[in-house]
Amino acid sequence: MLDVSIRKQLDHFELDVSFQAHDEIIVLAGSSGAGKTSILQAIGGLTDPDSGTITLNGKSFFEGTKTSLPARSRNIGYLFQDYALFPHMTVERNIHYGIHKKTSAETGFIIEQLLTVLGISHLLNKYPHQISGGEKQRVALARALATEPELLLLDEPLSALDEETREECQDELLRLHELWKIPFLIVTHSRTEAEKLGDRVLHLKKGLLVKETHGTMKEIPVQ
Amino acid sequence: MSRLRIGILMAVLVVLLAGCSNHQKGTEGSGTDPTEKVELHISAAASLTDALDDFKKTFEKEHENIELTFMYGGSGKLATSIDNGAPADVFLSASKKDMDTLEDKGLLDAGTRTDFTKNALVLIANEDSDSAVTSFDEINPSAFDHFVIGEPDSVPAGRYTKEVLEHLKLWGPLQDKLVLASDVRQVLTQVELGNADYGVVYSSDAFISDKVKVLAESDSSWHEPIVYPGAVLKDSEHTEEAQVFFDALQGEQGQEALAKYGFK
Amino acid sequence: MDLSPLWLSVKVAVISTVIVFVLGVFLAHLLAKRQFFGKSIVESLFLLPLVLPPTVVGFGLLILFGKKGWIGSWLLETFDIQVVFTWTAAVIASVVVSFPLMYQSASAAFDSLDNKLGDAARTMGATEWRVFRTITFPLAWPGLLAGLVLSFARGLGEFGATLMLAGYIPGKTDTIPMAIYFAVEAGKMEKASFWVIIITALGFSTILWLNWWSRRNLRRFASQKR
Repeated sequence: MLDVSIRKQLDHFELDVSFQAHDEIIVLAGSSGAGKTSILQAIGGLTDPDSGTITLNGKSFFEGTKTSLPARSRNIGYLFQDYALFPHMTVERNIHYGIHKKTSAETGFIIEQLLTVLGISHLLNKYPHQISGGEKQRVALARALATEPELLLLDEPLSALDEETREECQDELLRLHELWKIPFLIVTHSRTEAEKLGDRVLHLKKGLLVKETHGTMKEIPVQ
Repeated sequence: MSRLRIGILMAVLVVLLAGCSNHQKGTEGSGTDPTEKVELHISAAASLTDALDDFKKTFEKEHENIELTFMYGGSGKLATSIDNGAPADVFLSASKKDMDTLEDKGLLDAGTRTDFTKNALVLIANEDSDSAVTSFDEINPSAFDHFVIGEPDSVPAGRYTKEVLEHLKLWGPLQDKLVLASDVRQVLTQVELGNADYGVVYSSDAFISDKVKVLAESDSSWHEPIVYPGAVLKDSEHTEEAQVFFDALQGEQGQEALAKYGFK
Repeated sequence: MDLSPLWLSVKVAVISTVIVFVLGVFLAHLLAKRQFFGKSIVESLFLLPLVLPPTVVGFGLLILFGKKGWIGSWLLETFDIQVVFTWTAAVIASVVVSFPLMYQSASAAFDSLDNKLGDAARTMGATEWRVFRTITFPLAWPGLLAGLVLSFARGLGEFGATLMLAGYIPGKTDTIPMAIYFAVEAGKMEKASFWVIIITALGFSTILWLNWWSRRNLRRFASQKR
């Protein structure tokens, strides 16, 4: 379970949010500049909040006066808005980046499964600039999940895709969540996407949670 | 020590500022006004710097229509640049050889060449040195690390020094102690800063430094006479004023200024 | 013709380039994307040797490394090492004048990198050292290489500060620029021309190689894109 309660002074307002997430898809919705990405960064350990606490499955990530756990020790998956694939590495090396040298049979299986579910096995030897936007998105997703994280953070994961690809990818995200059973925290500014993906949708306005709804359009696609 | 540094900094600043203002005046002076000042460019051996800067004040006071702009440097370098067309009205060389070069090439205003002063070579050490050497032939090459002199092929002082050391049969033994400098001032600097144990400079250079002590003066029979030949240059556009300046330098006031800075 | 100036120049330039590369990359990486009070002052200090006349740099170095200088006297007392009038002095002068070029190139290279790549690596468990080794360094390499080559070329051509700190000792501290200077001064135009040709060829081939290398890599990149 993810437990977040943080405050952070941003440029024009103060971010002040508290929420919990079980093994579900939480969507952080709101217009751009509402502080959504700052929440993800705080949970991911890329920036620190001013005060508050963040814990995941009983492990403390951040606690007011104590030092914060560095990003590398948090065991989370982070999908960046423009994917942040390493341009000088093949798809295969990108996906294997977070895996320790000794790959067990189990991790091998997980990666195999990811490649199959996402349909990217044929891309392994390509470089990021040689593949399409939708493929990049899938590779980034595989890379984030390959480390077997306890939480997946997704920052506008689908905004760079055309409509058709976006719908495919939304379905894939839902399928992966069914398989993975960890909290997914998705940031989006699209209302329909929020409705379609979220078990719960947290609406953020100027750093405050103003409303919580349930994803009304959510249906798990059968493969 | 810090005083020395500040002093040097100030000197650098003054030189920079002086350079700027000279330059500006020069550009203004080249206007169209017929009663304008004549600007004389004088290429002079670096060792003459202080004496000439001193003389400039008295000279310009008496000749209000003439403005002096000095270009200081190694004589060899100055001769080369004059040969290559650098503008100069008067050449004041520290060496006969470089003047000969220009004369052979016909770059001098015939008949103006005159030796206007003399210098001597001295052996110097840092003011803090405990060296007991009192003459050139007491130099013991195995007793120290660095002996700094002007580069013999390009710096006249270096050439004279080489003659002295050869005369005293010290040139060979000193080979691996020698550090060659690009001009006499650099020799002085390295001895002043204590980097070299000994150096050989003109008496005029040692004269103006209070950071070095003179251990010995060379016998004038050990080297070619150190004369400073000067001449008006053929390409000068102000030969008349140039001659006025050169005559004044050989006159009472000029010689006085030179003597004041250790020239003979 | 005595070729020792060639070997000495190459030795000095290579050693100085290695030092400058490590130092420049380290400091540029340390300060990249970091904001603190006085950063621009620190960076201006780093770049100072680029704008100061060589004789001023040389004089500053004499004050520091001379027998009675702050560092020089300490080296002499502690290790009995005299820097002035040795080829080490030529290396030091070379390092000081070429450092700004390396620092500038490295700084620009690091600043142009996307922060998210490092962050992505961190969230996948990478240590800072691994981020540097596998992400930052390889991606900044073209810029770092440019700095490396510029530093080498600058080190090869260094004269003014070297003359003051290392003096001119034939066979010991006579780098090519030094040999050229004194040959010209002495009117030995043949010798001067010889060394001018050598150093021009060296500098030219270095820059030519850099151009060739970067174009080849650009082409490879372009063919990958297709």
